[in-house]
Amino acid sequence: MCKNEGKNLIICGVGGQGIVLFGKILGQFLINKGYELKISDVVGLGQRGGNVECHFRYSNKPIMSPLIKVGEADYIISFEQTETLRNAHYLKDDGLIITSTFEMSSPTVNVEIEKDMEGNKTEIIKELGRNTFIIDVAKYSDTDINISQMANVIMLGFYSSFMGYDDSEMIEVMRKTINPKFIDSNIKAYELGKQICNEQKVAVVK
Amino acid sequence: MRALLTGNEAVARGAYEAGVKLASGYPGAPSTEVMESISSYKEVYSEWSTNEKVALEVAIGASFAGYRSFAVMKTVGLNVASDALMFAAGSQINGGLVIVVSDDVGRSSGDDYNDCRFYGQNAAVPILEPSDSQEAKDFMKLAFEISEEFSTPVILRLTSVTCKTKSLVEVDESYVYQQVENHKYDFSFQRTMITTMMTGIKNPTSPKLAKYYNNFTGTMRKLEDESNQLDINKLELDSKEIGVITAGVAYSYVKEALPEASVLKLGMINPLPRKLIKEIASYVKTLYVIEEGQNVLERNIKNIGVNVIGEELFPRFPEMIRLTPDIIEEKIIPGITKNKPREDVPFRLPMNCAGCSHLFVYHVLKKHKIKASIDITCGIIGAFPHVDAFRNAKCMGSAIGVAHGYNVLTKNPEQYVAVIGDGGFWNTGISGLINLVYNSGNSTVIIMDNSCVAMTGGQCCPSSGFGINYKPENNIEISDICKAVGIKDVAVIDPYNVDELEDVILKAVKSEGNSVVVVKKECITAFKPKRTGKCQVKQDSCSKCKLCLKIGCLAIERKVNAEGDEVKINGDICMGCKLCTNVCKRGAIEYVQE
Ligand SMILES: Cc1ncc(C[n+]2csc(CCOP(=O)(O)OP(=O)(O)O)c2C)c(N)n1
Ligand code: SF4
Ligand code: SF4
Ligand code: SF4
Repeated sequence: MCKNEGKNLIICGVGGQGIVLFGKILGQFLINKGYELKISDVVGLGQRGGNVECHFRYSNKPIMSPLIKVGEADYIISFEQTETLRNAHYLKDDGLIITSTFEMSSPTVNVEIEKDMEGNKTEIIKELGRNTFIIDVAKYSDTDINISQMANVIMLGFYSSFMGYDDSEMIEVMRKTINPKFIDSNIKAYELGKQICNEQKVAVVK
Repeated sequence: MRALLTGNEAVARGAYEAGVKLASGYPGAPSTEVMESISSYKEVYSEWSTNEKVALEVAIGASFAGYRSFAVMKTVGLNVASDALMFAAGSQINGGLVIVVSDDVGRSSGDDYNDCRFYGQNAAVPILEPSDSQEAKDFMKLAFEISEEFSTPVILRLTSVTCKTKSLVEVDESYVYQQVENHKYDFSFQRTMITTMMTGIKNPTSPKLAKYYNNFTGTMRKLEDESNQLDINKLELDSKEIGVITAGVAYSYVKEALPEASVLKLGMINPLPRKLIKEIASYVKTLYVIEEGQNVLERNIKNIGVNVIGEELFPRFPEMIRLTPDIIEEKIIPGITKNKPREDVPFRLPMNCAGCSHLFVYHVLKKHKIKASIDITCGIIGAFPHVDAFRNAKCMGSAIGVAHGYNVLTKNPEQYVAVIGDGGFWNTGISGLINLVYNSGNSTVIIMDNSCVAMTGGQCCPSSGFGINYKPENNIEISDICKAVGIKDVAVIDPYNVDELEDVILKAVKSEGNSVVVVKKECITAFKPKRTGKCQVKQDSCSKCKLCLKIGCLAIERKVNAEGDEVKINGDICMGCKLCTNVCKRGAIEYVQE
């Protein structure tokens, strides 16, 4: 049942991007495959606009720490580019980044009590020299999918396709997790994520 | 069946399987979800109480009636409820009484430094600490048993990572709920009464005295003895070089970072199993204590004469706000090096939601330079430097008392205004309001009635118009209460009418005597109102004065590009509340109907 031994994933972004739901669907999918699992949602200070990190570990052996050690994440799946960089030190040397180009500026930068990073963040991510998939979700804003609300499921479709997961099993889990009122649009978003993955077969490496 | 549960959900499941009959509590991260989860079990009576002290008193009453009961709160809530705890400790217990308390350690930023173990120790009650969801469920059941067997309240200590981590838990699908009752005593007195009687009357002969005799110190000593055989205190002897005494989620970090170390895992952290501690101490060369929160275990272990390394290696502040397996490796494994996080990534301070009523009050206070104290509410974001609307921020329920104390002593005609949420008002703020009237104060109070306890996720309160045990006829209007306690000048206002809000606040501040302004608008996140339009910046009219950025609205952003700064509104999250059109002096922000 368990095809590989397991992986450590850091799933990150900002509040309101549906990271917890992403973890929930993927988690149930992997439980069905017979894995052990620990999913730890670490939400930053207070309210909206804060960063959200999910430490997601699955394995065919019992898992001890719910927190992933620095340098031991197989994948960083990021919904926001500043957060990609905030978490980059968690990645293994041969780890892989899947990141959206979406960016939400930090409130401290907005009111100029803190400086933003110098340069374009997408370029900084490329310069990390890791295997990287860069997803420009905004490119698809003319589709009838609400990109900002569905970014999590688009990323899920991308990741699922990348991992070669069975779509019907994943969609089955989605049906059980997501409110039936929204399921059709979510499946569309999932399909879009798969399509983006197929268009982008090769990762950027510097 | 194995189910994927958070620590919070597992606690609720454990209580349910233990046949609990009543759950009471007050919201507070990270354990709010325990109540949300237990209230889905129809057989269990549950309530969000007005505050933590009341919640614990309710559980104490239900326990006295013979039913297994628990109260849930975060540790700052136990500050409020501590008096109730101190007087339940040492008294006769019927139905098992458990207090589920969460310490907010281990968040990605910040720590409130409250550690509930100090309370457990002060009250001399047992404290259990689970390290994952399975233990959260099992320990909850055990807590009820210990409570009944040893006639004592029991604290179940949770920390943030345990609360918020999902892992697989064995759930008995065939379990059929059965309430458990225990009725040993017809009397239950607080321990000062008990000690007065027991130490005063040395030779009791009258049967009337028996009900006052409760040997609570003896029972705790017995529990201390038995703790050496308790299954949840586990001694795992391995390396003779390194040993660690640990508890809670820290145990899982230790196993990950130091797999060879000998470990004493404490499931019960008060009272301590002295024999086991001495055993590991004599087995290993170097003994560490690794714990989340303050150095409570370390001090207690040193007190029983065992030398351990703790604080000297793991200083709490500012180095170790949050314990991780990485920190343990760095401190204990020689020569290990770790990737460091980048230093140039900007920090994210929290923001209010776009369209939040708090933003309107910040705006009026700042525009008229009105000094104000803020309570613990979503409005506390206004005290951070990116908004900068308040000069004083203290604990929940405090704002009215703080403003009154300031105003009563200063000759300053500029008065401090109190700003408080509806949740904070009902929690303890209402006493401050009565105090204002009682002591003939002269203060203005702004109460943010957003129909819920918002910051913790939109729970009910007495004026919210919904709730677990809600009946429309029992909903209490805040303005009615204010009038009833004797505030003559009470206004209720919809903040989206900015001009009117401004007039009402200014009038209240200038008026003689006490005044209340109830700012009434439902919380955006909890009630998800539909917007009818949104705002956008007309770039050619915008002077980049950045005034609108100081509102503190999450939708308004500054982007830096090749041409310099650009001020933009994120159309996906803008609520069309028009506050920014009011602030922009150049008319560069336009509202577009949808
Ligand atoms: C004594 C105490 N209990 C609980 C909390 C957790 N807490 C932080 S903010 C908050 C909600 C406050 O609600 P309300 O006063 O209605 O303000 P709102 O967030 O709705 O603006 C709670 C319960 C706390 N900080 N202190
Ligand atoms: S959760 Fe509600 S009260 Fe809190 S910032 Fe958002 S809208 Fe305002
Ligand atoms: S307040 Fe108006 S002019 Fe000033 S930056 Fe904002 S939109 Fe531009
Ligand atoms: S109208 Fe202005 S202040 Fe209101 S939500 Fe939109 S951007 Fe924010």
